[in-house]
Amino acid sequence: MSPLSPTSPIVRIVDLWKEYHENGQVVTQALRGANLEAAPGEVLALFGKSGSGKTTLLNMLAGLDRPTRGLIEIDGKDLEALGEAGRTELRRHRLGFVFQFFNLLPTLTAFENVYLALELAGKLHPEAARAALDKVGLKGKENRYPHELSGGEQQRIAIARAIVKEPALILADEPTGNLDTVTGNQILELLTERCREAAMSLIMVTHTPLACKYADRILTMVDGVITEDEKCN
Amino acid sequence: MRTVTRSFLRYLYRRRSLSLLQLLGIACGVAAVIGMALSAKSALSSFSQAVEFLRGKSSHTLERLAGPLDEAILREIVSDPAVTSFAPVVERRLKLANGDLVRILGIDPFLDRAIRPEISRAPFEQRSGGSFEDSLAFLLDEKAILLEENLARELGLAKGGALNTLKGRLKVIGTFPNPSGEPLILMDIAHAQKLLELPGKIDHVDLILSDEGGFVSRWQEGYRIQSKRQRQETFGAMVGAFRLNLEALSLMALFVSVFLIYNTAMFAVVSRRRDAGVLRSLGASRGEVARAFLSEIALFGIFGGLLGSVFGFLLSRALTDIIGGTISSLYFFLRPTPMPWSWWIPAAGVIVGLGASFLGSLLPLLELSHADPVLTLRGRSGSRGNRRRAWFVALAGVFFLVASIIVLAFFSKQIYVAFIGVFGFLFGLSLLTGIIMVLAEPLLRRLLGGMGKLPGRIAAGNIIQNLGRTGVAVAAFMVALSMSIGLGSMIGSFRESLIWWMGTQLRGDMYISNASDMEVPKDFYAEIRSIPGIGGVDTYRKVPVLYRGRTVHVAAIKADVLQRFARFGWVAGGDEHWEAVKKGDVIVSESFARSFGTGPGSEVTLDGVAGPVRLRIEGVFYDYSTEHGLIMMDRETYIGLYGDRTINSIAVFIDPGEPRRKQILDDVRSRALSRGLPAFTREQFHSNILEVFDSTFAVTRSMRVIAIVIAFFGITGALLTLFIERQRDFGILRALGFSTGQVAGMTLLEAIGMGFVSFVFSSGVGTLLAILLIRVINLRSFNWTIFYYPDWQPYALTALTALAASIGAALYPIWKVHRTYPQMQIREE
Amino acid sequence: MPRQAGNAKIMSRIKTAGIVAFIIALVMFVSLPALAADEWRQAIGQRTWSFPRDHGAHPEFRTEWWYFTGNLRDEAGHRYGYQLTFFRQGVRIKPSNPGNPWSLRDLYPAHFTVTDVRNGTFHVAEQITRSGPGLSGAATDALNVWNLGWSARMKGDHISIRAQHGEMELALVLKPRKPLILQGERGLSRKGPGKGQASYYYSFTDLASSGTIRTPARGTPVEVQGISWFDQEFSSNALTKDQAGWDWFSIHLSDGRDLMLYFLRKNDGTVETESSGTLVEPDGRARHLELGEIRMEVLGTWKSPRSGGAYPNRWRIRIPAAGVDLQLAPLLAAQELITAGSTGVTYWEGAVEGRGSSSGKPVICEGYVEMTGYAGSLGGLF
Repeated sequence: MSPLSPTSPIVRIVDLWKEYHENGQVVTQALRGANLEAAPGEVLALFGKSGSGKTTLLNMLAGLDRPTRGLIEIDGKDLEALGEAGRTELRRHRLGFVFQFFNLLPTLTAFENVYLALELAGKLHPEAARAALDKVGLKGKENRYPHELSGGEQQRIAIARAIVKEPALILADEPTGNLDTVTGNQILELLTERCREAAMSLIMVTHTPLACKYADRILTMVDGVITEDEKCN
Repeated sequence: MRTVTRSFLRYLYRRRSLSLLQLLGIACGVAAVIGMALSAKSALSSFSQAVEFLRGKSSHTLERLAGPLDEAILREIVSDPAVTSFAPVVERRLKLANGDLVRILGIDPFLDRAIRPEISRAPFEQRSGGSFEDSLAFLLDEKAILLEENLARELGLAKGGALNTLKGRLKVIGTFPNPSGEPLILMDIAHAQKLLELPGKIDHVDLILSDEGGFVSRWQEGYRIQSKRQRQETFGAMVGAFRLNLEALSLMALFVSVFLIYNTAMFAVVSRRRDAGVLRSLGASRGEVARAFLSEIALFGIFGGLLGSVFGFLLSRALTDIIGGTISSLYFFLRPTPMPWSWWIPAAGVIVGLGASFLGSLLPLLELSHADPVLTLRGRSGSRGNRRRAWFVALAGVFFLVASIIVLAFFSKQIYVAFIGVFGFLFGLSLLTGIIMVLAEPLLRRLLGGMGKLPGRIAAGNIIQNLGRTGVAVAAFMVALSMSIGLGSMIGSFRESLIWWMGTQLRGDMYISNASDMEVPKDFYAEIRSIPGIGGVDTYRKVPVLYRGRTVHVAAIKADVLQRFARFGWVAGGDEHWEAVKKGDVIVSESFARSFGTGPGSEVTLDGVAGPVRLRIEGVFYDYSTEHGLIMMDRETYIGLYGDRTINSIAVFIDPGEPRRKQILDDVRSRALSRGLPAFTREQFHSNILEVFDSTFAVTRSMRVIAIVIAFFGITGALLTLFIERQRDFGILRALGFSTGQVAGMTLLEAIGMGFVSFVFSSGVGTLLAILLIRVINLRSFNWTIFYYPDWQPYALTALTALAASIGAALYPIWKVHRTYPQMQIREE
Repeated sequence: MPRQAGNAKIMSRIKTAGIVAFIIALVMFVSLPALAADEWRQAIGQRTWSFPRDHGAHPEFRTEWWYFTGNLRDEAGHRYGYQLTFFRQGVRIKPSNPGNPWSLRDLYPAHFTVTDVRNGTFHVAEQITRSGPGLSGAATDALNVWNLGWSARMKGDHISIRAQHGEMELALVLKPRKPLILQGERGLSRKGPGKGQASYYYSFTDLASSGTIRTPARGTPVEVQGISWFDQEFSSNALTKDQAGWDWFSIHLSDGRDLMLYFLRKNDGTVETESSGTLVEPDGRARHLELGEIRMEVLGTWKSPRSGGAYPNRWRIRIPAAGVDLQLAPLLAAQELITAGSTGVTYWEGAVEGRGSSSGKPVICEGYVEMTGYAGSLGGLF
């Protein structure tokens, strides 16, 4: 457990459980009493085997999935208490997402994909979207469609989309999973740099050891429980 | 526009070939509804217009209960204080040399002035200048007629021409327009009486009354007075079943198109699901996702509706003719003019398109906005849990089935409710598609594997793997095919029942005259009866009468002749009924018994010339000649009731075993023809009836075609979506070494597989539908029993349709595969 | 007196007009080519009159009419005028199918007008029929003529006339106060110089009238009294093409005299010399007036806003030999009949009144005037 910070944590998870039921029987337990805190601007790397519950955790943090029991607080607010509308508001303003498969909207250009996030957050500033694309090194490619760009470039758009609204927390699910090592390094560097710059917390679920280099803290998830490591193994 | 919405709408352009198919699908559905509605409206309005045109401004019509009026009553009408204007009319149908029956009106243009100003003016508008005698040719020349201008054009006749009829050659002195489009022959009343051999007789008097109550009280006994309102009601009742038929057909078209839209929307949902997940993770609310999707649906609705209204307008031009033909064979010769284009048509098209789109998109929309973003974000969109889902949907289907059966069992008295029941039943069955496909998987694997080896097995796998999409496509196709089988079997069974019925009732060796407003002279009847070798001559007289406020028919026959020669199909009992009929009882048709809830042993009360008469119902027989109900009685009973000795037609029965059968019939025929009476052998007579029957169902048949066309677009769209979604799979296949031909073959097999399942399923559903149409809808709307005759033809036709549609639907995707296959890669978007 | 005209030109013009207008045009266009004219008896020579037989129809003549006009007052003194005319126009002297009553021999047009002076309204009804099964006709043995519900019948010493159309209704009993007079030369009234250009014509000039009248403006029938005039006239070929129209006057003077005048106007503006008149003394003696004995001046005209025809509407009439000097004016200017909205058959026939002197004594007078051939379209057609 991390020492208590002077400022309140961005993320606080206490004894989080997620069970999947079928015919009244518990068939899977994705989370079994996970605990986690993250301070503002902190970069966390979460390791774990496939199926250990990492992605489930991220989805819960995003308010996309709901825990069986336990507490999740983002920005000091209990997600459960926020309700569906509150969680949507939270995603709009305080959360950014970066996915393994980029999850850009194929019918929108690079610029539109980024601007979409701003629009949803109610910030109608096209210049901010352009600046974000500039920051991820995609100046000049604003009007390209995702399928016209390389994987790395698509992930850059995704990062731009996440950072453009300056959220409190960025959740990244295997952001380099679909990229080669060089590109992966570039993406991680870009992502962590931008987070630190803007004091955004970053929780990234990953397999790649590259992440150790960029993370402030290393977490490992085993059988639905989070443990903290000093360094990458 | 919001970027969220834009992200959805761009799909329409990006997948424009698919969008086009979807648009065409919706357009076809809308076109079917608009086309049917427009042509029904134009046909029915020109029908009522024709009736109104014929009756003009008259407020009432006076007729005898049965048979023509004596013109001497006109003197009493002149002195009746309630009469403002009156016009006597001789109204019959005249058979032209080409076989067409055309209405002929014998009028007095002077008295007609107040009733039918346009018609009454026509006789004097023919001449400008010319002699006095010429100007009055209509009144002076015994052969002078005016011809409705379209009829004249059709026959290539102009002023001065000669019209050949069975009653001789008539002189066309001019033409006149009829706004209703009904072909008409106009003749002076004096000449019409002579031509039609009705000296001193008129068929009805059209009246403008100032005091209805007073008039009715003076003319109650022995006459029938119909007000304009009653006339419209009678007319409404007459075409009620027909209108219902048309409405049902457009509802069916709408049902198929809503289903197709549901199908289309389901595809859209599948392809938007991941995007919806992304949007939700970015903080878009459910409402925003739903709005984006709705705007897409709305665009389809609006443009599909617009396009459909144009198609529908064009379709209505063709359908109007068909419906006109049907009305002509059922009621009277009509040439309806198609509705002119109006801006209401696209407005209606958009409303129908939007309505159907939203209705069809309701479930997909719910599905989309409630889609779990977590699942949708997990890479490829899901065909996970297909089987579970199929069971769940099947459960909903069973619910619909049960609900529909309850509706059909308990509430089907209301015909519209019955239709809802039938549609619900069909919808419920369509929901079983998924589970049936799952169950049919082994069969499909074997079938397609047998046809196409490995690609065949992959094709079978693909169908089941993508159940979310293929299931809906198959369901839509199945519904359309079921409609085709159901309607086909229903028509086939009806036709067989009709043939059976003709065999029971119409067993005469020769029929002379068959139109209800034709007359066979009494001396001719006597003449025929005296020919040696003839076993019996039945006289037939059929008149419409009012019974409990509704128009039914009374038919007079010779019970002793029918007892010997006919073999009526009795609902209960047997030929012993004739004994009672000879003594004055009546028999009624099944439709009469059902619509008035009466039966053997009860009584009917009819207004005769001498007041009301009660007649005992002896038996009930199957009859398809009129859905309004038929009361049949012996000629003696009839004459006693109405004092009408008219004979409409006679049936000649030759003694069985008579060696001179052919000579006798030839003799009868030549005697008939010499009197201008048409004569038909039994075979000719039966085939005439079947011809009428077939033209009656021409609209239904054309609707079957439309349902198939809609289904065609549906299944094409479904396949296309599948292939677009699976381009990556094609990349994998390519990597594995599949040739273009193999992929094309696989595509084709997949289409055929879906067509096959659709057909097999629809054979069952179609049969059930046919039985529902026969047992519920027909029984409710016509009150007669049709016997279900299984027939392979509708099934074979539907199988062929399914095959052709599947192959046709696969063509575009195959072409697309051929064009783009080399570039396909294993790649995520 | 004969009443309208028409010709081929009119016929073409009335294509859009009503059938009655058309038929009237045919019927009244007496200068029609004399088709089979020889079949019809001509008005040539003296006729041996025999009444009541001659009140009936004369089917051997082609054209015939029974003409009633009258001036009435109700108890409140409100004034009314009426016209009820039954025409018979032969088409074929033998119908093609005599056994069928619809088979055409004669056409029966009829006109009915009511003038409501107090309300300033004038109403016209018209109908045309054929005999049919007793729907219209005229007896050949007495005055009994009917057209659907309209009729004129003589019973004993009086004539009953009745007609009804919508809210126009008339039911009168007419009693002759003077014996009938034979017009022209013992009933042969010449209309032109040619042979057969004449009609047989007699009149009851002074009929005491009582009964009821209903006008659309009044709504309910009202009891009326007054004086009527009856003409019966029959001919086969009376008028010629060079006659443009005519003016006809029937005037009752307060001193008991009755005056009939007719002027046949020719196309060249002159008056046919056969035009003439009759003066009936209070005791019933009739005196034939030659054109030369009559002075007529038109003092004013009225232009019909509907047909555009300019009709005389004030007259001065003098018959110096009888000491008659009258000034006449209509009770209502607009008493024009435009049948079926067409200008094809348009004439003015209406109630008039006047004052002046008779035998040097002041008198007032009332009666009817008929004027044809004034509506523009008819110019030069007679």
